[in-house]
Amino acid sequence: MKKPVTLRVNGEEHELQIEPNRLLLQTLREDVGLTGTKEGCSIGVCGACSVIVDGRLVSSCLTLALACNGKEITTIEGLATDGKLHPLQQAFIEFGGFQCGICTPGQIMAAKALLDENPKPTEEEVKEWMSGNLCRCTGYYKILESVMAVVDNKISPDFQFRKKEQQAKIQSLDVYKSVAKTD
Amino acid sequence: MAKAQKFAVVGQRVHRVEGFDKVCGEAKYIADIYLPGMLVGKILRSPYPHARILRIDTSRAVRLPGVRAVVTAEDTIKRPWGAFFADQYILSLHKARYVGEEVAAVAAIDSDTAEEAIDLIDVEWEPLAAVFDAEAAMQQGAPLVHEDKERNIAMTMDIERGDVERAFAESDVVIEDTYQSMPQWHCAIETIGSVAEYGPNGKYTIYMNTQTLFNARYRIATALGVRESDIRIVQSAVGGGFGGKSCDDNNALVAAVLARKAKKPVKIINTREEEFLAGSRPRVFMKINVRLGFMKDGRIRGKHIRVIADNGAYSAKAPAITGVAAMRHDTCYKYTDVKTQAYLVYTNKIPTGAFRGFGNPSAEWAVEQAIDKGAHELGIDPVELARINAAEPGYVSPHGNRVQSCELKQCIDLAAKMMDWPKKRTEKKPNTGLGLACTVHVSGKRHFGDYDGSSATIKINEDGKALILSGEGECGQGVFTVMCQIAAEELGIPVEDVEVSRADTDLTTFCLGAFASRLTYISGNAVKNAATNVKQQLFDQAAEMLEANPEDLVSRDGRISVRGAEGKSITVADVARARLFRHNGAPIVGSGSFDADSVLPDNTRFGNESGAYNYGVQAAHLEVDPETGQVKILKYIIASDCGTVIYPIGAEGQVEGGLSQGIGYALTEGLQFDEGRPLNPNFSDYRIPSMRDMPPLQYAFAESYEPTGPFGAKGLGELNMDPTAAVISNAIFDAVGVRIKDLPITPEKILKALREKPNR
Repeated sequence: MKKPVTLRVNGEEHELQIEPNRLLLQTLREDVGLTGTKEGCSIGVCGACSVIVDGRLVSSCLTLALACNGKEITTIEGLATDGKLHPLQQAFIEFGGFQCGICTPGQIMAAKALLDENPKPTEEEVKEWMSGNLCRCTGYYKILESVMAVVDNKISPDFQFRKKEQQAKIQSLDVYKSVAKTD
Repeated sequence: MAKAQKFAVVGQRVHRVEGFDKVCGEAKYIADIYLPGMLVGKILRSPYPHARILRIDTSRAVRLPGVRAVVTAEDTIKRPWGAFFADQYILSLHKARYVGEEVAAVAAIDSDTAEEAIDLIDVEWEPLAAVFDAEAAMQQGAPLVHEDKERNIAMTMDIERGDVERAFAESDVVIEDTYQSMPQWHCAIETIGSVAEYGPNGKYTIYMNTQTLFNARYRIATALGVRESDIRIVQSAVGGGFGGKSCDDNNALVAAVLARKAKKPVKIINTREEEFLAGSRPRVFMKINVRLGFMKDGRIRGKHIRVIADNGAYSAKAPAITGVAAMRHDTCYKYTDVKTQAYLVYTNKIPTGAFRGFGNPSAEWAVEQAIDKGAHELGIDPVELARINAAEPGYVSPHGNRVQSCELKQCIDLAAKMMDWPKKRTEKKPNTGLGLACTVHVSGKRHFGDYDGSSATIKINEDGKALILSGEGECGQGVFTVMCQIAAEELGIPVEDVEVSRADTDLTTFCLGAFASRLTYISGNAVKNAATNVKQQLFDQAAEMLEANPEDLVSRDGRISVRGAEGKSITVADVARARLFRHNGAPIVGSGSFDADSVLPDNTRFGNESGAYNYGVQAAHLEVDPETGQVKILKYIIASDCGTVIYPIGAEGQVEGGLSQGIGYALTEGLQFDEGRPLNPNFSDYRIPSMRDMPPLQYAFAESYEPTGPFGAKGLGELNMDPTAAVISNAIFDAVGVRIKDLPITPEKILKALREKPNR
């Protein structure tokens, strides 16, 4: 029988009716519509489904949604604000911390949980903590580099994704105007 | 070696084009696709490794509320399909041949209902005698997996070039040994899945996370008995491929059959357990006997290799993989006399197939250990032995592979230098050791008909941005970014002004997809040719505007000008708009194609299989704990010859990621079977490396330029996991004097070998 539950997801309140056996993973993806949280192994080993619940990193594939009633949940969709990336998201792009990207939401949430607790971990501490998040593409070197870049404040201050000074001026779509300008 | 030119975009550390979506959780993978009215599909799988189906009763499942369709083989055309040999069916026909085989399927309104319905299907089974070991399967009287395949043999090879017995007679030292490789699962963090729709016009639309769309379309069309154009494959984001998502499995086919019967879209996503049982086709298990003859000075005189390869219950790509295992390495070292014999054998296990390396990791596990053993017997430093035998530019292998660029010797030198090999070798500490191995791989492989090409279309928008339409399979490796860089370099526009559309068989060009390390080289050339075509159209228009000849124009950074008069220029956007917004305006759209200058190997498998060959060397320095058998890698070195590096972050990622899969293959990964039933089909018991398992790593790319490659580039993706297991085993031998001959190299095996070692 469905039961009422209130979840605060990325600062937004959701009042839902859900079955007691429904997992937080399914609820986030299918009831709230946030598909950034991924399913990898279904047994809490790979970390792809990592989200932060009341400040703690959890595997949403092992967590019942009803158990999160009234709790604050942060998912990967909650990190970037107004199109500005979280430093970890930026670092993963700048330092190549992903390839296929399926484990990336989980990797970034795990790293965020660590840095929220301890903003200056050593490389060894990062390795130990992040070993709960499997990745089959990268060999982890660039994930570690990305996380350490945030720890050591090495990300670029004026980052813009794939945007350079636009050489080609974008003109208005006034088709009557001469377009063959030279300068 | 041609001198590398100076490039504007090629070789820059650019952002990965689909990066923003991926770090924000916005990339849409197969599980993220939801269509209106979509049903969930679940599959009933065989619990037996070999059993006849006497009766299937689906009536109880059909009656369950919420069930929309139940299908068995009776709902299919019962036509076998397969990459090379047509021998598998969408759903079991008369009998099942391995644990996990698809027998029946259900589409229902939700997952719980579909699973409940699966439990309500009654199958009356008659278990049959089964066979699990390839050698046992070849014996007279062994149970037959396919009744028409005598002694269960799917394929044999027996090829000799030169005179191998004479070569051994002339050799000073002959080494012989047998090595057993293990299956390895791709373990992409995203499992295989699909969403299929069937329209009233008779057309299927299938969303798939495949790395080879057009091959998938062809196979699906065959199995469903329709024309290729009646199927549209749309690629979702792909969460890792590694060969496992090249459509050798039944997932999409079952979804299509369900969608047709239910008249609703059906989604089937493999669970992790299903992925191990019957999803991605694991690396072929091989038993390899190798005999090598050496001259006193270290030259390899002859090679005889005998391979027994386990095909599993059906043929995916193992026929080609077995050939690679038996022959490819003869393009790494120079010798003329080789004999190669192989059997590919059916067993009652999951079909095996393509995994990064495609036979090379299994073969190198054996051959590179044999070479190392030869070095020790001859008393020659393994680095020196590799250098003596290494292939060079212009080398033609005994099987007709024609090598153009080849920096294997440079890679050997780079690896030795990065490892500080001579010093570590002379100052060897107890229980530490050095190991090294060389590898070769292709940049594309001509084996699907006489074609190893690609094509691409580029269109220029009115804002001056370029869009590449390509049917190749981005599966996480970063080929979209490589394509953008190649197009930007050729067009003379900023890389940020180039985008790529995901593959869709109705909209994008015909392509073979991601396999054989082919995309940078093959599709890179196609994209470059498409860009040349589009650039010509831009120049024709710009010539009018600049009152100049098109041949005198140059483009740089998004502006077109007359060569030598760069002060007066117009933007690509200006040119595009001028061409579009006028009487008889026309789009700026250009296509390009490329087919490698290779040869379809003949019936003795002779012929230059690839347009270019990639080389690499790996070395390990490690320590073995003689009390526990634990291996600790102290330092790992990789030197790669992939021609020009186009996308450095991507190339580095290929090296690093390849190593992690190589280390898993070497040390931890192995599925245990009990009477054909996998015992550890999950991520807690099948252990892939985690962050703390990765050793200190240093790598380099050789100065190299492939004359037939786009801007001098060739392939890289598979090179990096080919030799790793042999490297580690060679270093363990150097450390403690025991040689492990079956994978994975567990501490138990090392301890056992140490106990059994004579004169310890």
